[in-house]
Amino acid sequence: MPILDTDSDRYGDSPRSVLTEAAHNGVRDLVRRRWGESGLPWREFVFSAGNQLITKADFAAIERGILDSGYRFRWSSMLSVRDRPAIYQKDESSTSDADFSFDHPDAVTDDSDAARIRCGQGDNVVRRAANIIGTASYIRNSEKVLHLMDKGVPRELIAIIDDSGGTLTAPILEQFHGVVCAGGTVRSHLGILTREYGIPCLMNAKLKGIREGDRIEIETSATAKTTEDYQRGADVVAAVWRLAK
Amino acid sequence: MSTPPQGSAEFRPTYVQLLEANQLIQSVGDETYWLCLTRTVQGSKLFPVSAYILLSYLNAFYRYPTLLRKIERQMRAEEIADRSRNMGIKIQNSQLGWALPAFYLLGREWLLAMGMLRPQDALEDILYVMDFWKRFQLSWHRNDGHITNRDYGHRAQIQPDRRLEVFRADMFSCEPGDDLHSAAHAFMATASQYGFLISCESRISLHNSGPYRLDEHHELIVRDFMDLAESSVPWLDGVAEKVPYNNLTVPMSVRDCHFHIVDDWGSFECKPEFTSDRLAAVGLYTSDVLSEGFIPVGMSSRAELTATFQELTGILKEATNRLWARMATWSREQLVDAGALMYYAIIKDLAHVAGVFEVEDWLEIDPRAERFRPLLNDEVADTILGELVGSISLPTQQTSPFGMMQHSNRPSRVLTPLPYSVLAGDDFVPSVGDIVRGSTLLDSKVDRYRTTRGVLTLAEYNRAAREFTPQSCAPPYRYLCETWVKYHARDPRCAELYRLEQIHSRQVKGRGL
Repeated sequence: MPILDTDSDRYGDSPRSVLTEAAHNGVRDLVRRRWGESGLPWREFVFSAGNQLITKADFAAIERGILDSGYRFRWSSMLSVRDRPAIYQKDESSTSDADFSFDHPDAVTDDSDAARIRCGQGDNVVRRAANIIGTASYIRNSEKVLHLMDKGVPRELIAIIDDSGGTLTAPILEQFHGVVCAGGTVRSHLGILTREYGIPCLMNAKLKGIREGDRIEIETSATAKTTEDYQRGADVVAAVWRLAK
Repeated sequence: MSTPPQGSAEFRPTYVQLLEANQLIQSVGDETYWLCLTRTVQGSKLFPVSAYILLSYLNAFYRYPTLLRKIERQMRAEEIADRSRNMGIKIQNSQLGWALPAFYLLGREWLLAMGMLRPQDALEDILYVMDFWKRFQLSWHRNDGHITNRDYGHRAQIQPDRRLEVFRADMFSCEPGDDLHSAAHAFMATASQYGFLISCESRISLHNSGPYRLDEHHELIVRDFMDLAESSVPWLDGVAEKVPYNNLTVPMSVRDCHFHIVDDWGSFECKPEFTSDRLAAVGLYTSDVLSEGFIPVGMSSRAELTATFQELTGILKEATNRLWARMATWSREQLVDAGALMYYAIIKDLAHVAGVFEVEDWLEIDPRAERFRPLLNDEVADTILGELVGSISLPTQQTSPFGMMQHSNRPSRVLTPLPYSVLAGDDFVPSVGDIVRGSTLLDSKVDRYRTTRGVLTLAEYNRAAREFTPQSCAPPYRYLCETWVKYHARDPRCAELYRLEQIHSRQVKGRGL
């Protein structure tokens, strides 16, 4: 079997992720095999014969090999799991269960005050004069966005989102009373856009026990988290409370 | 002009070429790590972001060398940079200062990690791409004397004095609560939102440069919104037919705020935090490769500018909704195609400036990259990209255990240098070769390009670009630089140079110095 440069690496060992290692080992095995079969010197293989001998079907076979082990991939785009559900872990974002709530293990909770139950915390994008109060609504897929485009965004809606991007909610973002995002940082696209629109927002939120329709308060009067805070690992957070019904 | 070579059998690098290229590669790698570490955590439930990013890197690796040579057969990198300073088009710090070398080299790095390449393969291509980048950057940054924003301590003072004078003179002041302030604020939020959507959850359609000092209490930031109309982004065909300008530039005066970071992604940090109440004055311009610099938009009066911002906000909101609805019907692989093409074609405006843009060059996935697509499911792509630019943990990125990488102090580096052993006789393959006709899953580009001279076909657009030289880039003005201006205030050419810039100005037209 031919030897690749990566087989003689003095310093590199394995990548951090087993999945990366599996994928890359699969490609390296493929390259060794096809190069060996070609009988060509490397310089005639790498950008010439190799382009024809290493094919899309070969890469599909590498993915199939991982799936054959029983592994199912985590998805990040809801379109990915929609189009190839068999290769991904189950999609739970489309649930309409009124009892659904984020359940982050690091959410700070406190029910000692019956009127205002602490349900987690997040990174405040912009410090404001006062906290805001509104009605929580989970917005986790494009069907929900379409529904709100069609029916209108209710007043005082605080969107609970797990997508730190700025595209999923693009048509309706401007109409939110507030945003709590269970991902990203204050510099993520959603953080940038809420700042541009002047919408109160917490990013990187860790929440527990907030359900669709709950009245919630978010501590937008807390200190905003800065880049320096992230670099220092500083614990600068704003609280989220569920209000008594 | 001689054609830059590609893959010539007799190519032999010099020691100095390798030394210089390796310094540039290391610099790009260090900044890539800093940007990815500090500037964002990017994610999307709509777009498979990591998948399209990795596909774009491969497309860049296989295609940029050929396409940059094609561009330089028409116009040299340093001349394109001189022209680009006069426009708010998609040739900015994020596109050229970082993405061009980073996308290309990260594609190489991933291929290295998979055993598809050796470090010395594509040697001539790599030297050429890095040399193109260096020449472009030196020219682009000629007014601040640096090669990147990183090199300037994260600052970008690209514009000349004469343009900044016009921006300052023609801006309209505004205060929180007044109509202009509200209209400008709403416009910038809406245009930013639209920009993220156009660019498939990336920030490459908007860009900030500066800061420039206005007075003790005010700094100027120049914000560009680019590729907004029906032009060379195919998914805007039909959706953006009412968007009247492809590029819009907003000079903003900001009160009592210091922008201490303006990075090579065109994003900023300031103290105290920039919030809309600190916006003290604004202007609005359009420009492109066919315009004589920046053309005011709705700038004849405060009322007109307010109304213009309001009208554009409405148009962009409608285009946002239509584009979102279009994208919501796409398959996962179409989303990957769009994102990969948006990223890969981040430097396509170089071809527009040179008048050699072709759809098959910039809006197709090369089969050499396309074959990797089955590997790019969400988790594999997220994991590999995370290691490649985040944890820097691929085996190819590990160095001697004595190493201490900038910003991390770990024995690693983002990008593998070129080996000097080629000078001792090690063989190498000079080039990936010419581009191969590619494909796309998206609708074909409609032959309609919104420009400052109206809607043109591509043939008309390319011809017009090739025939046009902005006056400030033609003799005798191109080399009349800021240093020359400083010592030639009484030279008539100096006043002419300023009058050229003032030609559209409401306040200082014809004033000269």
